[in-house]
Amino acid sequence: MGMKQKNIRNFSIIAHIDHGKSTLADRILEKTGLVSHRDMKEQYLDNMDIERERGITIKLQTTRLVYKANDGQEYIFNLIDTPGHVDFNYEVSRSLAACEGALLVVDATQGVEAQTLANVFLALEEELEIIPVINKIDLISARPDEVKKEIEDILGIDAEDAPLISAKNGINIEEVLEIIVKKIPAPTGNTEDRLKALIFDSFYDNYKGVIVYTRIFDGSVKKGDQIKMMNSKKVCEVTEVGVFAPAPIPVPILEAGSVGYITASIKQVADARVGDTITGADKPTEKALPGYKKVIPMVFCGIYPAEGEKYENVKDALEKLQVNDAAFVFEPETSTALGFGYRCGFLGLLHMEIIQERLEREFDLAIITTSPSVIYKIGKTDGTFEMIQNPSNLPPIQDISYMEEPIVEANIMVPNEYVGNIMELCQERRGTMRHMEYLDAKRVVLHYNMPLNEVIYDFFDALKSKTRGYGSLDYELKGYEKSKLVKLDILLNKELVDAFSMIVHESKAHLRGKFVCEKLKEIIPRHHFSVPIQASVGTKVVARETVKPLRKDVLAKCYGGDISRKKKLLEKQKEGKKRMRQFGEVEVPQEAFTAVLKYDEKK
Amino acid sequence: MKKLGLYVHFPFCIKKCHYCDFLSFEKDSDETLLVYAKAMAKDIELWSEKLKDYSIDTIFFGGGTPSLFSKEAMGVVIDAIYKHFHISDNLEFSIEANPKTLNKDKFAFYLSSGINRMSMGVQTLDEKLLNFIGRAHNSEDFYKNYHEARDAGFQNINLDIIFSIPNQRMAHWRNTVEKIIDLKPEHISFYSLQIEENTPFFHRFNAGEWNEIDEEEDRKMYWYGVNKLKSKGYIHYEISNASISGFECRHNLKYWSMEEFLGIGIGAHSYLGNTRLSNETDINKYIQNANNKEDNTVWIHHNQNKDNISEFIFTGLRKRRGINLEEFKSRFDSSIEQVFPEEMANLLSENWIEITANNQMKLTDCGIDISNHIMSEFVIL
Repeated sequence: MGMKQKNIRNFSIIAHIDHGKSTLADRILEKTGLVSHRDMKEQYLDNMDIERERGITIKLQTTRLVYKANDGQEYIFNLIDTPGHVDFNYEVSRSLAACEGALLVVDATQGVEAQTLANVFLALEEELEIIPVINKIDLISARPDEVKKEIEDILGIDAEDAPLISAKNGINIEEVLEIIVKKIPAPTGNTEDRLKALIFDSFYDNYKGVIVYTRIFDGSVKKGDQIKMMNSKKVCEVTEVGVFAPAPIPVPILEAGSVGYITASIKQVADARVGDTITGADKPTEKALPGYKKVIPMVFCGIYPAEGEKYENVKDALEKLQVNDAAFVFEPETSTALGFGYRCGFLGLLHMEIIQERLEREFDLAIITTSPSVIYKIGKTDGTFEMIQNPSNLPPIQDISYMEEPIVEANIMVPNEYVGNIMELCQERRGTMRHMEYLDAKRVVLHYNMPLNEVIYDFFDALKSKTRGYGSLDYELKGYEKSKLVKLDILLNKELVDAFSMIVHESKAHLRGKFVCEKLKEIIPRHHFSVPIQASVGTKVVARETVKPLRKDVLAKCYGGDISRKKKLLEKQKEGKKRMRQFGEVEVPQEAFTAVLKYDEKK
Repeated sequence: MKKLGLYVHFPFCIKKCHYCDFLSFEKDSDETLLVYAKAMAKDIELWSEKLKDYSIDTIFFGGGTPSLFSKEAMGVVIDAIYKHFHISDNLEFSIEANPKTLNKDKFAFYLSSGINRMSMGVQTLDEKLLNFIGRAHNSEDFYKNYHEARDAGFQNINLDIIFSIPNQRMAHWRNTVEKIIDLKPEHISFYSLQIEENTPFFHRFNAGEWNEIDEEEDRKMYWYGVNKLKSKGYIHYEISNASISGFECRHNLKYWSMEEFLGIGIGAHSYLGNTRLSNETDINKYIQNANNKEDNTVWIHHNQNKDNISEFIFTGLRKRRGINLEEFKSRFDSSIEQVFPEEMANLLSENWIEITANNQMKLTDCGIDISNHIMSEFVIL
């Protein structure tokens, strides 16, 4: 590549959600002349619609930039974007492992938040040089000095020289570029050594197969080389190497210190998993890079074709998504209520929502999603145990000797005036407090052990709602604990609808049942007969509601020959019916399945 | 010649009733009404040139309150119709009229102008309820005008009454129905009050001032009305209409039978040659356009086959005799069972529709109560 390692800077940008990570990335791209302001879609690096809408990064983007510094030399910047959500912590850690340094973007009005902290810890684990950057200084409520102090006090990072910028308005971006050159160490790999490269992302391309994003630590790689993935043991021949500018551009060779891509006719991303080490097939390096982990799904739900949608279409779409997402798993299952569908596993609730949205938008599918579930460990009376993630597969009650549920360690950061609210919320969700720490006079981190099944439903929404949006959360799996769990069933017109079944803690059965019954009562349209809605545990009904029968559905007036109004009304009524799912005699709108999962402040 | 119904819209009232969401305004001056009437006369002339091969056999003056218009203004409109259109011999010519806007002089004028059917808005005979719904008249005004109409020589009178008024009890309703029947009008329309958006009632209802009448109660009132009328010799020929045999409103039946009609005046709808149209709703623009001999149509929909099928069924089912299935077949080249196999099977098995010996498909009594549901089954999206 002609550029010496001493002129390469590999770095990431880390930040709490909404603190301006993507906007800063855009400005850096612009300042280095890679993308003109005119051509720039807002937030260049977030290339999925969902990412832009939600303001979060899901898939990584990596870009190679050339910057002419004030010292007169040209530098290559490899900017490696990181996903911005707790569900994707592992991907974040691997991206960071590909870097020597990280820009830590902190909002000058918000200060340090839970994810700032979580990301800094990840960056420290990878021994990165962390450069704080204080963003949004043009806002009236900006308090850069206090935020600097917070960074120093809470994170223990020197923030005295932190650039004060506004990514949105392009203020002080040069300062950031210069500090990257000065403070982030150059890579120090040995080009002559055996190949040792880290996969920090991969995605499937229809023409080239899997495109592997890699950081070369030692050695070099070029077209025609035989390479081997040290963990998956996959061996293949390199068909192309290149860099991102930001579109992939082939180059003759990738050498130690550089960041780029490799293609090798790999059919699915599972063969080139994030965190795996690439080495030469003939002359492998001795030890793989540390930190590889096969990510496992923690949250599960059923995905079914909605009325009028083809099973095959859903299957094709799921397969296409999986090719690109090693963390997403699925297998066929059957529901008496919904027919043939798939049980799908996700990293977390956000990951689940994203997959659902992509199925609906990118693949234009009509789907129904069942209640999310976690994996329960069922100890049986015969001494064996089973892992269950679909409530319908729970063994008969007499065969169960005990049940265990996954527990997470949750760290919740809130302004101190909301501590009471959140402690109450956590208690409601069966959390046990480990400890509580004051970050400063205003901010508190609550450390809780919480059952994962209390977190996956609506905990995050509740947290946001009860802290006016200021609360933040991250969590990781701690282990399994015994728990008094029961299966809560929902019956419509006396018939069980298995798609609504869920496993809940005994103490929650009544409340959860009541909530679902009330929600369904709101959503299920009135029929020409009365529809009882019951929540039951075994044969015991724990909550009930009734949808009153419709006695009158007739319009008297149709005036002066204007039938268009009446027609519109009838068309609307008919359209409504099309979106219904029939259970026995009862018609249920598709949105009922998601509505029963949503947090409702009034409840 | 092809037959044509003519609707003319008179969008002014003494005051607006609290439940009313029709296109109408409180009257300002006789001057304005005359200007509007003259504009309609020009619009009538404009249309007559396009409809030379039609003969008008029904006319309906609706509102608003047509009877609020002066003889002069009304004369301008009526003269234009007679001058520019061919009129059938057996013309049915209805006018909507509200108590307190009528007198002997007007009745005589109407009759001499060829108006032969009087439709009066009574709504209820309970004074408190009349006041509550914001009517301009009391029951005495009505009785006086009714007898004046009879004395003048009207032999075809319709009376409009409303049930399901908030605070209305069954006893009130029974009382109104009985007193109305005692007057022996040829035709009675009985409507369930609907709380429409953007009416004073809607705001008061939303503010929680009262509860909408219970659905069960509404249906009790409806069926009381139907049964009482039938027992007194009236024929229940449309969901909300009953008449002495031979006095069905021929104009309104056109709406339910996919027959052609022309609408004149603001917001009026037309159905001509397989096309539905509606007029400008802004009165100033309407007047300006008409004076410039410009078309006042603002919406045109050319009916496709699927529109015609849906409309034929859902309008036809409003008639108690329903739709003729032979006619359906000859209009649409396939049987109703071929077009709606599942829907027909379901509705028949639920006993919401029935097919009579003379091949009429109609709503059953219990089907009436949920007619929207049934009609929506026949909408083709």
